[in-house]
Amino acid sequence: MNPLRRVAGVALLGLATTVFGAAASISLLTKSLGAATAATPRCTTAGLTIFQNLSVGTVVSVTVAGLPASCGGALAQATVNNGSVNSSGSTTVPGGGGAITVVLGAAVAVTAGEQTDLVLTGP
Amino acid sequence: MNRWRSRVAAVGAGLALGMTLLLGTAVGLAESLNLTSRAFTPYRTCTITATPVTTTAVNDTTVRQGAPTSNFGTITNIRVQSGVGSNNRIYVRFDLSVCSPAIPASATVRLATLRLFVTAMSAVCRTLDLFPVTASWTETGITWNNQPFGTALNNPPSASRTGSFDVGTAVGCQNPTVGTYISGGTVTADVASFVSGGSTNFGWMIRDDIEGSATTWTERFSAKELGTVAQAPQLVVTYVTVP
Repeated sequence: MNPLRRVAGVALLGLATTVFGAAASISLLTKSLGAATAATPRCTTAGLTIFQNLSVGTVVSVTVAGLPASCGGALAQATVNNGSVNSSGSTTVPGGGGAITVVLGAAVAVTAGEQTDLVLTGP
Repeated sequence: MNRWRSRVAAVGAGLALGMTLLLGTAVGLAESLNLTSRAFTPYRTCTITATPVTTTAVNDTTVRQGAPTSNFGTITNIRVQSGVGSNNRIYVRFDLSVCSPAIPASATVRLATLRLFVTAMSAVCRTLDLFPVTASWTETGITWNNQPFGTALNNPPSASRTGSFDVGTAVGCQNPTVGTYISGGTVTADVASFVSGGSTNFGWMIRDDIEGSATTWTERFSAKELGTVAQAPQLVVTYVTVP
C-alpha cells in the first residue's frame, strides 16, 4: 500500500476517535453540573429575624438576628424593595454568628409592603 | 524501512491525540466539582406596615366590654385590658396580598412575627394570648357585642392560643419597657396556614390570658391611626421558596 494512503487512513481513524472522545466528555460534564445544582448547601435553615430600621419614614438598614455559628464568615447581602425603589448593602457575618446590621446604600421609603431579599454566600 | 517509519509516526500521532482528549475530560470534571463547594442561603421577607393611615392593608381596632355597641376603629391606640366589666380585646389583620412578589402557596414560612409598639403597660407582668380569627370582621364595624369570638370571657380558652407574649414592668417580664416594639409575637404556624391555603386569613384577636381581673390591668399599643410610621403595627414574614 502507498505510504501516503496509510497515513491518511490513520489520520481518519484519529478524527473518528476525536468525535467519540468529545461526545463522552460532554456527557460527563452534563451529569456533574446537574448534581451541583441539587446539592447546593445552606449554612442554616433557621427562622432568621429580619427587621427594618427606620429613620424619618424610610428604611435605612436591616437587622438580621438569630444567625448560627455555621453562617460565621458568610457574606450577607440585603436588598430592600418597596415596589418602585430598591437599595442594597452587605456585611460579613461574625465568626460566632449572632446579629448583623446591613446598612443600605440609599434610604427606601416605607410603604404598606416591602420585600427584603437576604442572601448569605459562604462560608 | 520508510513504510515502517510512516506507520510508527501515524500511530504515535493517534496516541498523542487520545491522551489530549483524556486530559481534556479530566480537567472538565474537576471544574464541575468546584460548583458545589460554597454554601448559598437565600431568604425573602415581606414586611407589612400599617401605613399610611388610610391603608386597607392593615386593620386594627379594640373592642370594649364597657361600650359593647361602640366601634373604636378610628382610635389612635389599641389595647388589651382585664378588669371587672371593662375587658378590652384587640383585633388586627394584615393583608398578605400586598406582598410583591406574592408569597407562593408552596413557600416554606421560616418565621412570622407580629410587631406592636407598646406605649403603656401594667406594673405586673401580664400574658397576652393570640388567637387566629375564624370569621370576617371590619375595622369600622366590629364591636364587643358582634365580635367573632363572642362576649364570653376567657373564650376561646387559653389552651387554644397559637401564640403569646408577656408585657409589664415587673422584673423578668419579657417586654418590660414602653416605647419599643414588643418581642415574642411569633405567629409562624398561623401565617404558614394562611399562605398554603389551609385556613383563611381573618387576622388575630389578642386578649389578656385572664380576663375579669379584680384589679384593672391595661396594655396599650400604637394603632395605624396614630400616623407614626415608626410605631405602626407590622407583620414580618420570612420565607424560602426552595427549602
